[in-house]
Amino acid sequence: MTDAPLIHATGVEKCYPNGTQALKGVDLKVARGEVVCIIGPSGSGKSTLLRALNAMETITGGEVVVDGISVHARGTDLNKLRTHVGMVFQQFNLFPHMTALENVMLAPTRVLKRPPEEARSRAEKLLAKVGLADKANVHPGQLSGGQQQRVAIARALAMQPSIMLFDEPTSALDPEMVGEVLEVMKNLAREGMTMCVVTHEMGFARAVANRVIFMDAGLIQYQNAPQAFFDAPESERLKLFLGQVLK
Amino acid sequence: MRQQKSRGFWYGVYALVLLALVAGIWGMSARVHYDWNWKDVPRYLVSTSGQELLAPFDAYVSITPDGKTLSLKEYGGERSASYTDFAQAYAESGDLVFRDDLLAYQAGLKPGILLVGLWMTLKLSAVSLVFALLLGLVAGLGRVADNPAAKQLSSNYVELIRGTPLLVQIFIVYFFIGTVLQLSAFTAGVVALAVFTGAYIAEIIRSGIESVPKGQMEAARSLGMNYTQTMRYVILPQALKKTLPSLAGQFINLIKDSSLVSVMALTDLTKAGREIISSNFRPFEVWFTIALMYLLLTGTLSYLVRRLEKRLAHD
Ligand SMILES: Nc1ncnc2c1ncn2[C@@H]1O[C@H](COP(=O)(O)OP(=O)(O)O)[C@@H](O)[C@H]1O
Ligand SMILES: [Mg+2]
Repeated sequence: MTDAPLIHATGVEKCYPNGTQALKGVDLKVARGEVVCIIGPSGSGKSTLLRALNAMETITGGEVVVDGISVHARGTDLNKLRTHVGMVFQQFNLFPHMTALENVMLAPTRVLKRPPEEARSRAEKLLAKVGLADKANVHPGQLSGGQQQRVAIARALAMQPSIMLFDEPTSALDPEMVGEVLEVMKNLAREGMTMCVVTHEMGFARAVANRVIFMDAGLIQYQNAPQAFFDAPESERLKLFLGQVLK
Repeated sequence: MRQQKSRGFWYGVYALVLLALVAGIWGMSARVHYDWNWKDVPRYLVSTSGQELLAPFDAYVSITPDGKTLSLKEYGGERSASYTDFAQAYAESGDLVFRDDLLAYQAGLKPGILLVGLWMTLKLSAVSLVFALLLGLVAGLGRVADNPAAKQLSSNYVELIRGTPLLVQIFIVYFFIGTVLQLSAFTAGVVALAVFTGAYIAEIIRSGIESVPKGQMEAARSLGMNYTQTMRYVILPQALKKTLPSLAGQFINLIKDSSLVSVMALTDLTKAGREIISSNFRPFEVWFTIALMYLLLTGTLSYLVRRLEKRLAHD
């Protein structure tokens, strides 16, 4: 079935060992090629949900199926699963002891066992795609935040994932660098990449998302197409939140 | 300008203090009527007595009248041999010598007992370092592992070693483990030093790994790399670079700690000193010389490490 959702989460619960109930039964379906933006106040469980999708976090209830694979089932090859699911972090997390090119090449050569020449030429293409062809041999320490985040996106794309997860990719950036990162993400969406993006960039959500999700207190409270979502906020809580973010 | 003047003043103070220290040592030795004799020291570094020439088989000796050629004729056999490259014969014409008996001293210099001891100290430290690094790496990885057995064992190892004196450990290795397993003194020394230093290196490596931000592990794992690959390509390179100064310090400690193995039948630099003193009763000169030799060794090492650090800092 080609139109089965690429991500299908049902009743996902997460209770951290310290007793925090971060997710209280989340249902989420994401179709192939869909771009979903997740917004919500801090501590509402957005990161936890995203990390449950590629098993960076275990869950305490429910089920997550990604690309037909039950993520949290016993015996699932998590390393293999994660090669299908790219992740981009708020803090970039580039490997500081490697050049930009080496950052992008590392996983393809070590995990997918690609020949180095092939990995290198692909990595060069990806760096060119994010506008950093001239920074291939530079270490992350000498790159701006926006450039680092674009290298991080190239690094995730190098594994040829079918899904990309973004956890507040522009929140740690100076305002003047937000645009260049969002531009790369827009292009990715236009190419048909399936994306889950936790963000507070409402302009991006409105322009690029197929659907916007509002999370609060460990639950998806409300979701809709961006037009309806922003122009006719369903609840007072959402209206209040949007008012704060858009200020 | 003012500042430069006061700096000059303090350099003067520094020189005065050094001078006072030297005078103090001299004064103290004068009070015990110690008469310094540095002339003996060089021959402990380079000995002029030459190599020994040993008989290759049982034989009768004959020496030409001019004393320049020494010939051997095998006792109860057909072999013969003759030597001209010696300085001073020890055997005499007509002697019957047995295999490995001393025939003569060859001309030339050979390393004195202090240099031989220094070489032993270097060899002991270098070999111990290799094993200490391996042990420390394994135990350090064990400390940060999820596996309770690995975690518990490595933590016990570190606590046991750090909680007991090295000298006691050396005695245990040499007299107990060494006797049971029939270890040579050198092997026993390496075992004791490597096990001891490994515990400290384990702690250094653990703290190095823990100093790498958590996001590095997450990023690598999210790319599909397994734990081993992540450690090898992402975490350890960063951790080792950060801990290089502490690791170098540990190597310097190892060189100094190796002096304790002189309690075993192993002539390292310190033991060489004790052997010299027991025959010439010149403790001051010998111990000062030995201290200087250790200082040269450790000083060279810290210089090399500083240069390595600078190179690494660049890329
Ligand atoms: N490792 C953790 N251990 C315990 N509690 C956690 C952990 N990570 C997150 N939490 C808690 O879970 C809740 C949801 O966190 P998170 O998913 O990070 O929210 P968001 O990304 O929306 O800000 C918060 O209350 C947070 O304090
Ligand atoms: Mg978050």
